[in-house]
Amino acid sequence: MDQTGKRHPSSFQQLEKLGEGTYATVFKGRNRQTGELVALKEIHLDSEEGTPSTAIREISLMKELKHENIVSLHDVIHTESKLMLVFEFMDRDLKKYMDHRGDRGALDYVTIKSFMHQLLQGIAFCHDNRVLHRDLKPQNLLINNKGMLKLADFGLARAFGIPVNTFSNEVVTLWYRAPDVLLGSRTYNTSIDIWSAGCIMAEMYTGRPLFPGTTNEDQLQKIFRLMGTPSERSWPGISQYPEYRSGFHIYATQDLRMILPQIDPMGLDLLSRMLQLRPEMRISAKDALRHPWFADLKQLRAGIMQGQQQAGAERARLEAAARAQQQQGMGIGGGMGGQVY
Amino acid sequence: MAYQPCDSYFVEDMEQDGVFAASRSRQEKARIDADTQMEIADEMSRMVSEEYQEDVLDHMEVMEAETLPDVASIDIQTEIQWFMRPYLLDFLIEAHTAFSLLPETLFLTVNLLDRYCSKRVVYKRHYQLVGCSAMLIAAKYGDRKDRVPTIRELKSMCCGLYDQDMFIQMEWHVLQTLNWTVGHPTVDNFLQMVLQEVNCDLEVECMARYLSEVALFHKDFVSVRPSVMARSSLALARHILGRPIPRHSEWAGKYDTNVLVLLSQNLHRPSSILSRKYASPEYACVSTILEEFLARQAQIAKQRMPPTPPSEVYESSRTAMDEDMKSQDVHMTPSKGQQQVTMGYITPPVTPNAGYFASDGGVPSSRMPITPTPQHQQQYLS
Repeated sequence: MDQTGKRHPSSFQQLEKLGEGTYATVFKGRNRQTGELVALKEIHLDSEEGTPSTAIREISLMKELKHENIVSLHDVIHTESKLMLVFEFMDRDLKKYMDHRGDRGALDYVTIKSFMHQLLQGIAFCHDNRVLHRDLKPQNLLINNKGMLKLADFGLARAFGIPVNTFSNEVVTLWYRAPDVLLGSRTYNTSIDIWSAGCIMAEMYTGRPLFPGTTNEDQLQKIFRLMGTPSERSWPGISQYPEYRSGFHIYATQDLRMILPQIDPMGLDLLSRMLQLRPEMRISAKDALRHPWFADLKQLRAGIMQGQQQAGAERARLEAAARAQQQQGMGIGGGMGGQVY
Repeated sequence: MAYQPCDSYFVEDMEQDGVFAASRSRQEKARIDADTQMEIADEMSRMVSEEYQEDVLDHMEVMEAETLPDVASIDIQTEIQWFMRPYLLDFLIEAHTAFSLLPETLFLTVNLLDRYCSKRVVYKRHYQLVGCSAMLIAAKYGDRKDRVPTIRELKSMCCGLYDQDMFIQMEWHVLQTLNWTVGHPTVDNFLQMVLQEVNCDLEVECMARYLSEVALFHKDFVSVRPSVMARSSLALARHILGRPIPRHSEWAGKYDTNVLVLLSQNLHRPSSILSRKYASPEYACVSTILEEFLARQAQIAKQRMPPTPPSEVYESSRTAMDEDMKSQDVHMTPSKGQQQVTMGYITPPVTPNAGYFASDGGVPSSRMPITPTPQHQQQYLS
């Protein structure tokens, strides 16, 4: 990041609005000098309490997290009334990508695997650097035209210690919030991000959020309806959670394939390891990256490249043929002679 | 249920008894379950730390090196002097306690303060403002939102010495000066990490933290890495409390003997604010334990050599401080004597002997950019 004062808001041309959050607005921007596209996150400063804690955490944590699967922070610019964070530009978020590219929101198998691998790499890097993201959802995962996925929006992120302290349980957008947090746990750890990743994986298969709850209680019920209502036997100590009710409706565990018929057995195995109700049973990001489901990722990617090349070659052949036809049609040159050649 | 003759009465009674017994056993089971859950949580916490400890530790050690203050730069400050620092720390410790902030927040506050003072010339009249802003940033970084002090509260703690705007501007200036790198791994972070490997021992934990906070007051430890500080404090705490050093903890075993010895030489006359804080049962009364330990040591020493009245040492150090501000003694917590303020956080804004340094050192060093003053707002607002 550049030193203070070298940059000025006017060094960026502000383009269209990309999104609006609770404490910030994001615009597309262009560096007037280099022409480089950027994302400008404008944070309004509270005249009463100074710099928001979200901004202090986001900026200081992002400065520590330099990784290809984490969106990079170029600069911080301060004006009288606002703080402007300059990020690398990404084309769209995963939500928009699914709506745009997917089949009714659902993505193809290879894309899902590639995105999941990149998502887990980003998460693993955060966790290795003692950072919890705490707000993973499709809107916070950015995609560029090269098919790269990067974690963004570290406004809720924080550094964790070992052992983990107690935190607020007002984290993570409801739909992606882990059951232990919904049950009122304040001593969650890295596993909180893994649950979100599992929800996102399922959503990429179907194009729809896996657990679109409306309230804390409804969210738990939607999770239990699919994963089965936990009991003291399946989850020793569950009744000690603050939000535990003995009157939870009892659901039997459903087969995830019911809602994800497209998923292969290996992918299902990984997904079910991420979507464990008990936080301590959830797979870690590092172990998930070593899961056999990812074993053929390289091949698949190479296949896509080859496919693209083949498609490219095919297109070139067709174009050549079309040109030839055109030429023939227009009767330029001795068509027959050319053919014989 | 149909009426039953006499003998069934007892049967029913037995059944009732059985109901109570069942409920009692249910309660018992719940208790066991709760314990089980705690055990599982601990176990899983261990698993998580096994998974991440090494990487997290690596990262922390990189970060601590990048975020150390530089004593030599603080030395060339023209207005603020080392002897003023303990007064500011006393104030910050009281404020930290009053706001019930996390232990790590105090260490982070002092780190941010010293790093800022390593990079900017600070006017004496702004020293406390820098300290408050550092605490504000540290709390925003690590504490729960509802614990973060409001600027109004900070203002009243400083007895209205600074305007609301000055806090906001100084907070911003500290962040800018430190290039927004706030994530300094504190002594407390390292202590917690080592201590979770061993069985919980409140006395050891509090003593190690107390020793680390005593060290905050001394210049010699300002540029010592927090991980080194944590190991040495822990080893010394165990020695004082007569606890064995656990063999399996390789990391904690690698403490720096020099730092440990230096620390042990700086335990006398700790800040009275600090020793009062650690005299409470909440902190296992470790400051009293330490005092007793030191008294025992002195007793042993006295038996070996002719006694030196402690008051003499005390007096001579005070004169030395007054005579030569750059002598070794100034690094120690100065005893405030008659100037001592009453309990409470309305410690008057720093700087004892207010007029003492007013005339000299008026010209700020050109080597460091100057701390902004409200009159110079434009300098750093653009």
